[in-house]
Amino acid sequence: MGCNFRCIHCQNWSISQQFEEGSVIPQKELALLIDIARRDGCRNQNWVGGDPIPQIPFWLGILLYEKENTPVFFNTNGHYSREASELLRGVVDLYKIDFKYGSDRCAERISDAPRYWETVTRNLRSAKRYGELLIRVLVLPGHLDCCLYCILKFISEELGKGTRVNLMDQYTPHWRAGEAPELSKRLTPSEWRRAVAMAEDAGLTNVTM
Amino acid sequence: MVRPDAASALEDPKVLSALPRYVDVVKNRRIAKFLISRMVPADYSDDSSTEELWTVHERALVEEAELEESLDRGKVKIGDLKPPQRSLLHLKHLLGRRILESCVLCERRCMKNRLRGELGYCRVGEEMKVSSYFEHMGEEPEVVPSFTVYGPRHMLGGRPS
Repeated sequence: MGCNFRCIHCQNWSISQQFEEGSVIPQKELALLIDIARRDGCRNQNWVGGDPIPQIPFWLGILLYEKENTPVFFNTNGHYSREASELLRGVVDLYKIDFKYGSDRCAERISDAPRYWETVTRNLRSAKRYGELLIRVLVLPGHLDCCLYCILKFISEELGKGTRVNLMDQYTPHWRAGEAPELSKRLTPSEWRRAVAMAEDAGLTNVTM
Repeated sequence: MVRPDAASALEDPKVLSALPRYVDVVKNRRIAKFLISRMVPADYSDDSSTEELWTVHERALVEEAELEESLDRGKVKIGDLKPPQRSLLHLKHLLGRRILESCVLCERRCMKNRLRGELGYCRVGEEMKVSSYFEHMGEEPEVVPSFTVYGPRHMLGGRPS
């Protein structure tokens, strides 16, 4: 299944069912497809899993065969090891990290993710240091004080107020979201207004919505 | 076909201020890092210990950063460089394969031997199964269109049963 998280609200759960099988395409062939797409006007190669973390060695193998100047876009939940971070360093041009939680308790409860804060903040710092960084924040209902506040504060204070952040309001309860009462409904307009105000209060200057 | 917001995104001052090098690579004014890593020699052999490999890797990364700077400043041209037999990217690939013997790629560090068919929490084996690939338009405007390869059962979580 290709993901190191088990988010109870996974929005790709239904899509995933349509592509259960999957086939092994040789690395050389994928490299050729990526080269063709780049010549066709694609801006980058987007590494997606589930999460691409378990596939890093395979991707490195593809890169050995590519010929075009195609930036590597690593699109991740950010929960990778120090070793993985070292492998990505010097290869990834643009990191996009989904910054989901401000508390380890919420991360364990919703995504079954251990040591969340320590891991993801470490990787955010190293992504900024060794490449360029785009952060996606999906505002979760009921998680403004425990999560969003800490996320915005960390970005502003540790990564810089000009960090590019995509603040998203489109949370929709998918799959097993009903297991967490606060996640069984969408974000309310007043929660969203508060989220936007929190981003302003944090002093962030490069937020898209 | 490009979305209108995507077409203008690379000129957006806010995109340029946050992602200047990425934008330059998209416009072919600078070189993607992976191509630079292929130009950096790495002195190792296949039977080097993993510890030795990491040491060589660390040194090669420093060299890569220097080369990137020279390329970015126009002091060196990528076309004038000769790719070494064994590069930093080859070394990264080898280290990646070594990690699969006792996988610690994600922070769960479940240490399964994926080369021997053991499956960890992510259930990804040795090979990457591709479920689909396409020119993806549904991302932030500065990154689309994006050639996107989905792994098996694209999902951010969820046990199938």
